[in-house]
Amino acid sequence: MRDVFVLGVGQSDFGKFPECSIAELGRQAAQAAIADAGIDAGELQAAFASRVYEGMITGQTVLKDLGVARIEVVNVENACAGGSTAVRSLYKDIAAGYVDVGIAIGVESMTTSPIAGKLIPPARDDLDGQLGMTMPVWFALQAQRLMQTHGAKPEDFARISVKAHDHGALNERAQYRKRLTVEEVLGSRMIADPITLLQCCPNTDGAAAVVLGSAEAAARTDAVAVRIAASTLVSGDFTFRTADLTTLELGARAAAMAYEQAGIGPEDLDVIELHDAFASEELVHYEDLGLCPRGEAVGLLRSGATALGGRIPVNPSGGLLSLGHPLAASGVRVICEITDQLRGRCGDRQVPGAKVGLAQMLGGVVNGLDAGAASVHILTV
Amino acid sequence: MTEAVPLRPDLFRETPEGPTLLAVRCKSCGQVVFPVRDLCLACRSGELTMIELGSDGELLCATTVHMPTQATRPGDAVGYVIMPPGVRVFTQIDKRGDALPEPGTRMKLRIAPLRTDGDTEVLAYRFAPAEEVTADA
Repeated sequence: MRDVFVLGVGQSDFGKFPECSIAELGRQAAQAAIADAGIDAGELQAAFASRVYEGMITGQTVLKDLGVARIEVVNVENACAGGSTAVRSLYKDIAAGYVDVGIAIGVESMTTSPIAGKLIPPARDDLDGQLGMTMPVWFALQAQRLMQTHGAKPEDFARISVKAHDHGALNERAQYRKRLTVEEVLGSRMIADPITLLQCCPNTDGAAAVVLGSAEAAARTDAVAVRIAASTLVSGDFTFRTADLTTLELGARAAAMAYEQAGIGPEDLDVIELHDAFASEELVHYEDLGLCPRGEAVGLLRSGATALGGRIPVNPSGGLLSLGHPLAASGVRVICEITDQLRGRCGDRQVPGAKVGLAQMLGGVVNGLDAGAASVHILTV
Repeated sequence: MTEAVPLRPDLFRETPEGPTLLAVRCKSCGQVVFPVRDLCLACRSGELTMIELGSDGELLCATTVHMPTQATRPGDAVGYVIMPPGVRVFTQIDKRGDALPEPGTRMKLRIAPLRTDGDTEVLAYRFAPAEEVTADA
């Protein structure tokens, strides 16, 4: 297998842009990534694109406006992990030698999607969905367990949202750049006890893209190449094999595989971007990623270690909570943020001297599985 | 006249001892899986026995849902109940007034209308704190 490098990253604005088509959002991100990589779009040999809602040939729709046609384009869907899946698919094609340079794009227009203004619904025939299961409900039940098993308090969950918004306030691309207080988060409308509105990610339109290449392709550009030291993607296990809601076995498995692939451990990480669609879940990811021993995630949060300036900053971008969550874009976007962090170009939210970063994404809830998909990428310079 | 139909077949049934949820146990590996299916998800054997999970469980956790969902109104409660032999079941929950039952509460299965489709009442399972079901009976 060949080494694979991130050559360029790009992101559209994140927010509510109902007037903006998928093609336009995707073009903004793809064009930025291609320019960042210092290549001509004509050099792209393959593209993987992801979108959850809805429509066909997303990649072709985006790339045609950049003068790119005829190449192999694959469109993938894996719920919120769709973008990570696109990146990993391209990674594998480059590692295997099928292509030297390509682009992965994630794009979502939530405001024009068929579920605009609604919760992300389970499949129509999903038993739990028929009984009232939704994303916020599932994460609320997980939060309830965290309060029982970990001694977490609603204030802890609120603090995670406060941290995300503190970080997002430093990111010019964030959908919500307003700093919040714990009291404001707790005082916002209750969604599913203990999760309040300001502990939920917003609906977001946006896109992100990365250009990946082989060592030879990297050598042809002036871009600072960031090596993908690990790329993993796994699906969930049956709930009858998962002990509790306070760990997502698939997330822990994706991380363990990534650490093995990269030959490093969680103690070697400088910065992390992860799935925080709901504030409370961040605690679960701390433990599943091995940032602290089981049962100690609340202590890690309270110590300030995961805030900017701490030992291992988590979601310096503002995360899904503040930056926003255009579903299929988020899995690509976390890799954009880690790349920017490792290149030292994150301005006020820069983690000083970051050399090793981890981008995680999670996708999908379905009856019978602990979750749909989990992906981890480890990047190094 | 209103017809009552279960949400899906082989989900629950009435017995002389009260309602029971239905599951399958694999004849090959012993895995119990709810809801009923025709393939063991653990070992993929097709040799399965339908079993009754009974009507007793223990509340793992619950939440009050404050926005409408496909099946609940604001203020309704849902949660997970653990039934012997350790099957975790997502379910709607009867509250005690405005209060959620505490984790660890002994829960009792009951069959109740989930929704009405035209003239058809769709029945599903839900759980209530055990002492309340006993008191009602």
